[in-house]
Amino acid sequence: MLVTVEHLAKTYGNFTAVDDVSFVVQAGEIAGLVGPNGAGKTTIIHMMLGLISANAGTIRLFGKDLEDDREQILQRLNFTSPYMAFPARLTVLENLKIFAGIYNVRNAAAKIIELLERFGIGRLKNKPISRLSSGETTRVGLCKAFLNDPELLLLDEPTAYLDPQAGIRVREVLLDLQRSRGTTILYTSHNMHEVQRMCNRIIFLGHGKIIATGTPIEVTREILNEHRDAPALDEVFIRIAGRQPDEAVSN
Amino acid sequence: MKPYRIKAVIMRHLYEVRRNANHITYMVYWPIVNIMVWGFFTLYLRHGDRLQPSILSCLLGAVILWGLFNAFQRDMAVGFLEELWSRNLVSLFASPLSVSEYVTGLITVTFVKAMVGLTVEALIAWLFYHYDIFPMLPKFIPFILNLALFALTMGIVVTGLIFRYTTKFQAMAWSFAGILMPLSCVFYPFSSLPGFLRPAAWILPTTHSFEGMREAINSGGFSVLHFRWGLELNIIYFIVAVVFFRVMFESARLRGLLVKME
Repeated sequence: MLVTVEHLAKTYGNFTAVDDVSFVVQAGEIAGLVGPNGAGKTTIIHMMLGLISANAGTIRLFGKDLEDDREQILQRLNFTSPYMAFPARLTVLENLKIFAGIYNVRNAAAKIIELLERFGIGRLKNKPISRLSSGETTRVGLCKAFLNDPELLLLDEPTAYLDPQAGIRVREVLLDLQRSRGTTILYTSHNMHEVQRMCNRIIFLGHGKIIATGTPIEVTREILNEHRDAPALDEVFIRIAGRQPDEAVSN
Repeated sequence: MKPYRIKAVIMRHLYEVRRNANHITYMVYWPIVNIMVWGFFTLYLRHGDRLQPSILSCLLGAVILWGLFNAFQRDMAVGFLEELWSRNLVSLFASPLSVSEYVTGLITVTFVKAMVGLTVEALIAWLFYHYDIFPMLPKFIPFILNLALFALTMGIVVTGLIFRYTTKFQAMAWSFAGILMPLSCVFYPFSSLPGFLRPAAWILPTTHSFEGMREAINSGGFSVLHFRWGLELNIIYFIVAVVFFRVMFESARLRGLLVKME
């Protein structure tokens, strides 16, 4: 298993953000970590990156414990989220050169240009980040995420700030890169159509707990508790979002 | 520690220096203003032989060395604050970059910037006020290194506080050195302090650097006593600061503050 999360828990005072969460992600898979706001998706991703320490549980990536082998693990994965930012006065190229340096990327200049072109922002390379739109900055983040040819990619709502056209393009690039490089992706999103299209398997969260896991159709049948011929993750999402915390794992 | 990651951090801060005029202000403008004000003051004191030349030398030497200490401590903390203001912390610490690599890169850039400020001040003092610090530099260097090490220690403490308490403590980046100034005997000898303040002043490495500087100017000798006291205190404070920083950093991780810092 590329990712093994066991009995993960995180509390802030009386608030439980993540409650005894366990899941695995296999190599080459695109797994969706989905759920309403406050479900614990981003907290889990931040714990997988070592940015937040867990109160209980273990995270093993590439068969190694995150607490013991942080450096080796983080060298082999990457992450992006539209909610993170870059130094605003620095240009796109300068920012990406810094991260290429951190990840020790060979032929960094050529690699950066290739990624910028692929995500349709080659013309922006000499612009300061402060002059970019949210969607353009999101795509710079995606370029950063592919700099080190990661074996595992953690994408936290990667299309949240993109217009529909840019969203489609980014999804195509992601799928193309995933197919050609075999990258494993853990993907969070509120866009259920996108999740249905992108993910082989879904881990559905509600109030910090796992409610269902499986393919989109399996999760749809399990949560809606009826036979369906096609996935209906939008309906599942609405059903879960309407539940109270104590109902979250009633299934 | 991987040299290529340290180099990337150095690049990040050098790009910032190039793109952000505030760095030029900190690095050159304030040192120039500082040395000019004190330079004119010493010219006034020199007029009519109001004071001995060695006291005037001590005054200008102290201005230059305090400027270095202040710049080093401030630039360390501000360099880190820039990551926080630009919300770059998540990207940096979600990468294989370690805290020690980051701090090493930041220290390197801060040291270069502080040396630029020191050189500018020393040149102005030499050209316009006939105060030549350069022949004394060999004797000053050990005390300058002690000042730099203590400033680094203070920078680590302030950075730890910012990690844990976020921007609530950001004013410390500019003011922390000032808190130590009255007891550091920058412009007056240790013997002029009232007795009850002397123990507190003695345990500051800054006091020993300025006492050492005064001794070098007045007698031309090198004070092994003040150098050793400064160095030994620095080693103790540095170890305490690193432990303090780790505690603050882990506390910030536990509270999820690294991803919420603004």
